[in-house]
Amino acid sequence: MHSVDLDIYRPIAILMIAAVGFAISPLAMAWLWSKKFSPRKPGPVKNATYECGLASQGDAWIQFRAEYYLYAIVFLIFDVEAIFLLPFAVAFSGLTLGAAIAMLVFILLLAEGLVWAWQKRVLVWV
Amino acid sequence: MNLEKVKSDIEAAVPGCRLQIVVNGSPSGQHSLLLDREHAFAVAKFLRDDPELCLDYCSNVTGVDWPDTEGSGYLEVVYHLYSTVKKHGPLTVRMRTEDRKDAVNLPSFTPLWRSAEFQEREVFDLYGVVFDGHPDLRRILMWDGFEDHPMRKDYVDPDDYEYEPTAHDAVLKRALEHSNRDEKAGGCQ
Amino acid sequence: MDQKLKIELSQQGIFATTLEEVYNWGRKNSVWPLTFGLACCAIEMIATTMARYDLARFGAEVFRPSPRQADLMIVAGTVTKKMAPQVVRLYNQMPEPKYVIAMGACAISGGPFKQGYNVLKGIDRYIPVDVHIPGCPPRPEALIDAFMTLQKKIDAQHLTGDLRPRHLRADTSSEFVVPQYGAHDLEPAKNPKLWNITLKATPTEPRAGENEPGKS
Repeated sequence: MHSVDLDIYRPIAILMIAAVGFAISPLAMAWLWSKKFSPRKPGPVKNATYECGLASQGDAWIQFRAEYYLYAIVFLIFDVEAIFLLPFAVAFSGLTLGAAIAMLVFILLLAEGLVWAWQKRVLVWV
Repeated sequence: MNLEKVKSDIEAAVPGCRLQIVVNGSPSGQHSLLLDREHAFAVAKFLRDDPELCLDYCSNVTGVDWPDTEGSGYLEVVYHLYSTVKKHGPLTVRMRTEDRKDAVNLPSFTPLWRSAEFQEREVFDLYGVVFDGHPDLRRILMWDGFEDHPMRKDYVDPDDYEYEPTAHDAVLKRALEHSNRDEKAGGCQ
Repeated sequence: MDQKLKIELSQQGIFATTLEEVYNWGRKNSVWPLTFGLACCAIEMIATTMARYDLARFGAEVFRPSPRQADLMIVAGTVTKKMAPQVVRLYNQMPEPKYVIAMGACAISGGPFKQGYNVLKGIDRYIPVDVHIPGCPPRPEALIDAFMTLQKKIDAQHLTGDLRPRHLRADTSSEFVVPQYGAHDLEPAKNPKLWNITLKATPTEPRAGENEPGKS
């Protein structure tokens, strides 16, 4: 390997070092500053998880209401399906028959979910 | 709205109820209707549902402490009722507890007027009136675990007096007592 | 650094400074308050941040919704006894250095509700207050004045030595006692380390004939 080949990467290496240094030096200065001047003072209230002022009570591991499955289904229909529809549409003409059928099954399943949600009047804004 | 007529209407509709007109001698002349505890809920239901009165809106619930009246005194709850349909009101309705210590139960009107819910909780919190039939009778202004009822006239607030720049009357008296006690204790400077 | 020498140097086009000055200059011009209002004083506080009074001129336009990112707590309004533990807890969760402006009569003493059953007689019973603003409510100009007073205070703080402020000392805690709800009052009713002033000004008895109905 010729040394000339490596030479062209030198500016990138210098830039990399400068960028990392630029990011790290303020952090290092702050770390040094806190070592020299302002000490860390953690405490039980300061380290508490919540910051709303109220003391937390009870357990966060509670059972969710089963009604939330509605949100999961509607989310699947309108968000996840939309994400898959876009690449499907882009690659549509180049797809094999099997892939197209698989995709149609997927869309049909979710469309069925949409019909079901419609019938349950989930989409009605009260 | 003629209070005499309302009274006779109620007496016709709710047999056995004992009503009494409490006369207000001031120029406003807002006389009120004192209900008995046993029939109060039925009377209130009549006031709300009667097509002529149709008092569908309870705008205000308040408490009054009468410590020196009639022996051991009593607590009173006052409701102001309006009709949004007939555009009349207020009809002032009162109820009295038996005494101020243990028999402080009154029927709750929250099942009839939803707007009474928080105000009845407030009366419970500050005066200690227990509303039977209230769906959620908890303290609302003071914290859970607070033991007194601060709007009662014999409530003694915590002895936590210090410099009072404009002390007068009761506050002056208690501030002086407090500072005298501090002096006797040797004065914690 | 000697002030005379510094002025002399600056006249010659040489700018000299110290680490302490740069540190305090940076801090005093980026004080971020906590988004936190308790009563009607908060409306004046909001007005202060808006276009007409424009607190942004002093570098304090960024009201942080989390105590973890705030430097200044403006206690704007009546502190009820039910709210006091939350106020102290929020203060404890703020990182050092932290400052407090007690805004309005209620926050500094209980105000018109002083002997009320549920009003704290001033937030300085539980947390150290740097600037007190009287008024009911104080005008935005008063809050700006308090803010400039705080900036002067920050500017005068020492980085080293015995006079350095709390946040530069390792031995002083940044947390203060959070009061608990008791049966009749908050427990403790005050933090004796912060509030041990026994102002023994014995109230004057009203003179005979004064303030009595029927006599003038």
